[in-house]
Amino acid sequence: MSALLEVSGVSKTFDGFKAINNLSFSVNEPELRAIIGPNGAGKTTFMDLVTGKTRPDSGEIRYGELSRDLTKLSEARIAQAGIGRKFQKPTVFEDQTVSENLTMALKATRNPVTVLTKRPDESDRVADLAARVGLSDTLEQRAGILSHGQKQWLEIGMLLAQEPRLLLVDEPAAGMTSAERERTTAMLVEAAKTRAVVVIEHDMEFVRRLNCRVTVLHEGSVLAEGSLDHVCADPRVIDVYLGRPEEAADA
Amino acid sequence: MLIRKPSVLVFLASLALITIVATVLAQAGLVSTSFVKLLGKTLCLCIAALAMDLVWGYTGILSLGHFAFFGMGGYAIGMWLMWDRTETIVTGTLAQSPLPPTPLEIEEAIGTQIFGVVGSSDVPWLWAFAGSLPLQLAFAVLVPGLIALVFGWLAFRSRVTGVYLSILTQAGTLALSLWLFQNDSGLRGNNGLSGLQNIPGLESVSQAVLSLWFLWASAAALAGAYLLAQWTVSGRFGSVLRGIRDDEARVRFLGYEVEHYKLAVFTVTAMLCGLAGALYYPQAGIVNPAEIAPIASIYLAVWVAIGGRGRLYGAVIGAAVVSLASSWFTGGGAPDINLGFYVIKWTDWWLVLLGLSFVLVTLYAPKGLGGLVDLWTGRRSRNVGPMGPDVGALRSKEEQA
Amino acid sequence: MRLILALVLMLTGLPAMAQNGPVQTLLQTYADDIAKPSRRTIQPVLDDLAASGLPAMPSFLEAWADKGIVQRDEDGLFFYGTREGDIYVLRSVEDGSDAGEVGRREASELKPNAGVRRLIGTALVQFQLNDPDPARRRAALESLSRSPSADLLEPLRASIEGEEDPALRARKVALDRLITVRFGTDLDTRLAAIDWMSDQVSLEARAALNGLLTTDRIVGAPDADANVARVLTVGDDITEADALALLADEDILPPEVTRADRDAALIAALDNGEVAGTPVHTLNTEAARWTAYEELAAAGQVPARPPEDAVATLLAENPISEVYDEPDPTITAAAEAALAEVTSRVARAQAADLGLDALSLASIYFLAAIGLAITFGVMGVINMAHGEFIMLGAYTGYVVQQVVPDYTVSLIIALPLAFVVAAAAGVALERLVIRHLAHRPLETLLATFGISVAVQQIVKNVFGTQAVPLTSPDWLAGAWVVNDVIGISYIRIGIFVLALIFLGVLVYILRRTRLGLEVRAVTQNPGMAASLGIDPDRVGMATFALGSGIAGVAGVAIGLFAQVTSEMGAGYIVQSFMTVVVGGVGSVFGTLAGAGLIGGLQKGIEWLNPSNTLAAQTYMILFIILFIQVRPRGIVAQKGRHAQ
Repeated sequence: MSALLEVSGVSKTFDGFKAINNLSFSVNEPELRAIIGPNGAGKTTFMDLVTGKTRPDSGEIRYGELSRDLTKLSEARIAQAGIGRKFQKPTVFEDQTVSENLTMALKATRNPVTVLTKRPDESDRVADLAARVGLSDTLEQRAGILSHGQKQWLEIGMLLAQEPRLLLVDEPAAGMTSAERERTTAMLVEAAKTRAVVVIEHDMEFVRRLNCRVTVLHEGSVLAEGSLDHVCADPRVIDVYLGRPEEAADA
Repeated sequence: MLIRKPSVLVFLASLALITIVATVLAQAGLVSTSFVKLLGKTLCLCIAALAMDLVWGYTGILSLGHFAFFGMGGYAIGMWLMWDRTETIVTGTLAQSPLPPTPLEIEEAIGTQIFGVVGSSDVPWLWAFAGSLPLQLAFAVLVPGLIALVFGWLAFRSRVTGVYLSILTQAGTLALSLWLFQNDSGLRGNNGLSGLQNIPGLESVSQAVLSLWFLWASAAALAGAYLLAQWTVSGRFGSVLRGIRDDEARVRFLGYEVEHYKLAVFTVTAMLCGLAGALYYPQAGIVNPAEIAPIASIYLAVWVAIGGRGRLYGAVIGAAVVSLASSWFTGGGAPDINLGFYVIKWTDWWLVLLGLSFVLVTLYAPKGLGGLVDLWTGRRSRNVGPMGPDVGALRSKEEQA
Repeated sequence: MRLILALVLMLTGLPAMAQNGPVQTLLQTYADDIAKPSRRTIQPVLDDLAASGLPAMPSFLEAWADKGIVQRDEDGLFFYGTREGDIYVLRSVEDGSDAGEVGRREASELKPNAGVRRLIGTALVQFQLNDPDPARRRAALESLSRSPSADLLEPLRASIEGEEDPALRARKVALDRLITVRFGTDLDTRLAAIDWMSDQVSLEARAALNGLLTTDRIVGAPDADANVARVLTVGDDITEADALALLADEDILPPEVTRADRDAALIAALDNGEVAGTPVHTLNTEAARWTAYEELAAAGQVPARPPEDAVATLLAENPISEVYDEPDPTITAAAEAALAEVTSRVARAQAADLGLDALSLASIYFLAAIGLAITFGVMGVINMAHGEFIMLGAYTGYVVQQVVPDYTVSLIIALPLAFVVAAAAGVALERLVIRHLAHRPLETLLATFGISVAVQQIVKNVFGTQAVPLTSPDWLAGAWVVNDVIGISYIRIGIFVLALIFLGVLVYILRRTRLGLEVRAVTQNPGMAASLGIDPDRVGMATFALGSGIAGVAGVAIGLFAQVTSEMGAGYIVQSFMTVVVGGVGSVFGTLAGAGLIGGLQKGIEWLNPSNTLAAQTYMILFIILFIQVRPRGIVAQKGRHAQ
């Protein structure tokens, strides 16, 4: 097992606020990893940094066998290198059909000329993906009329279609019914068998179900790392995040 | 495969029908040459509207400069038309001299003839290839393409989007038209290029016949442009374009270099506009800097919006209806309305009507005239939601908030 | 009968008595010289007339020079005479009172020749320069500066001492120096005058110095005593063609044969389809024609062209130099030095003037753009009809002037009224259109464009396509002139003050009032603002009213110096957007910085390329496009919902 993503000494300041402070951290392949932490701990900023949406002030983010520095690449190049991202709110293309959404995401060349001129029939791959995320019946529907959970699945399907090596998932279970959560858990665990999956989540029950290594972020750097039980026992984590029993409601 | 799409079939059939009917009526003397020209010009405007729909309706870039590319095409072809015709005239004059004319004499005579109006007789470097039809035809397409490429590269690279991009394109257009208004721009200042309806080598063909030739050429070009546009917006490429319109950032995270796609569409549509302009101005007879002024490009957007953006036939319908109606109203075709205390002259009030109806369309019928087709066929368009292209912009703003 | 006789006596005798005043008496002393003046003899007469100090003398001299004096043959008396048909109507030279009339043949008109007239003029100037009426003294100085001459130097100098008006005295001193420089005979006084001029920036001083430095081009070695300015290098200081033309003028070289000369010669030599043995149809290149011409020249039929190989040698052997017309090198050297100093002084003054111009343009842009900046910042929409609010403001001013004729009062009424009219229009636009297009900025842009088209056309239909006048009150009409170079009109100063006032008011509203707090809250975080109970619709409406109202006031101000037409707003809209975008959206000081940058830039480019203001705008827009590459958020970047 070697490190797929190696974050070392990364800092990022927004107008004097240190969102990420000398963060170092690595993810292996395959691995399922959960990141937890209080609001403002820098969880989403971390994803922005990895996917190229935000550039760090210092530090580097190495990725893959060639140890490419992601901080030098554009968002599109990072995505092409095999990093997929799922946003907090479901972001699918609401005006396009499920099948069009999936086709767009399929791993294939992204070059405009090739995309325009080469038009292979991908309906089998799309149907297969749709089956994996349970959207076989809605292939020709506009994504905009799907339910909230279906949109989340479509987005996960689009991520799978990209066949990424590293999957960054931001609060996948937010706003889902419990049946939908179970299904989402299964999808993520399944995906993590062959690739690295990093999940940001607030819901401790959901994290417990993922049954994986957990990293706790606080004020932009790693506070603790290990199994869920291990970090939950860490007094510092209890202080800043889980809270003493009487404050638990704030968590 | 494209051709089997019902909307494409209907479109091509209607276009062919209109062209044939117009030809027959013109041959029978039932419609005037100027009407045939109006029709031919309208078809060229439809091509520009198609390009605008691709770049705005599908990709979400509200360019307020595409009509400038149209004008550039006109200038490029106009340079050849003027040069060649003037060359014929001055060669005839110089033949009166006992000495056979030298190339320098011919060039000087052409220079005096063409640029005398701006007080110059030197031939500007811009006109170096004006004598060559193939080169000027190529320039009609390549110059708009090149300018769009450079401008687009600068703008998209620095991620200028939304209203900023619109204003930037408008400013660029203003800069170009102001430059053209100068007498020393080398393109005859505000006189523009004129006499373009006389095609060198075809002096013996009457304008009546020539107008029909141009009508057919314009119709063929529109058909070609429509198929090209339909091909572009179908399949994964079309999905990516609409994706960029709705949520640019998301497309980026799918691994598409959004800037490349935008640049490609911006450039290709600019070239399409250049081609349309090269067909339009020989029918119009004159091209001048006023044609390139920013307001013309805004009207282009208005046509597409009224026709219904995000669908190709919508753009064509919008351009055709508005520009024909405009000719009818401003040409004195519409009867005045006597209110007793005030007579509404349409030549004065047409722009008020257009402006207000445009506001009403934007407010109450964002799908434009194309929406009527939905009512008629009983289908719901799946391409244009009520929120239009700004859904993504809104979402990314919420995200930032 | 005696009564009638007495009447006749009175009628003929009274005027005759009136003629014997001091002027007539003096004139009669020199009657012959005055009637038949010659340039050589008249000067003492004029001196005496001038020395008399009679108040009626100047108008006599004026009329004399103007051929308005007649001498009655009968008694040799002088009168002002106007010819009417066959008679002269006479007036007394003493006081201009009626003096009867006389037949055309019974009097003769005095017709001094040009030389005498000039002498009279000089004598007259002497009077005028000492006239008790300052206006006449000023007029005399004006005419003196228009046609200076050496003769007038003495009377001018003489009049300086007694001059009491400081402005006129300064003017007299200046004129004295100017005339001395040109016509002075004494080296030291001329040098002193030149030295004095090096402190000036006036156009006159520059013209006088330049007048001293006129040169002539001389071929070959100049005379030993010539005052040589410089020796010209062919190619750098003078084109080869010009140099050859000079050599040809001196017969050193045969004159250049032009293409027209050549073709005429060839046509003349055309014989039986051939020119000098060359078939005419082969003469279709320039080279072939020159060859044919040279053949003709070789045959001696036409003048030869300058030999090409000899040209370089001849140019080297005959250097061309510029020689001052002024023979004294001390004078020219001093003038060169003074001119250099004046030029640099003028350049500094021009820079200051350019700065004032830029400041004034910037305040116009600021006024035009600030309303837009506020609405764009708060609501994130581009209002394409903003220019029409400017136009509505200007037309409001026009309408008020139609009702209230006093320009000052109407301006005082028009400014607040324009604010109200434009603000009302803005609120209507916000409520009827923009609010319904919330979160669709591109559609808002286009819809407001539709409004702009409609409003423009309606105004055109109501007021016509011609520009209407919006006249500024007299106290705003002049200009503040520092010297010949620096000057700025009062209207522009007024606009600058207006811009400052609005800047202050806006900063106050935004920083110190409840509305400002709410506006800033909505600009920075609309969601949070709404959850704190701020009604974004109300804030939007208030901002729109404020922003549009300011545009209306700006319209009145702009209308005072620019043309008021239905299209005037459209001309400002792109500039205004550029100002907002360059400055940074949603910030008053950003807009100020943007206006300053754009105004300064435009004036700067115009200064570099003064012939072409259109090109200046083109370059400016290109610069802005590049500027946005470097600072996409503008000079003053603001964080907020529209800053991305």
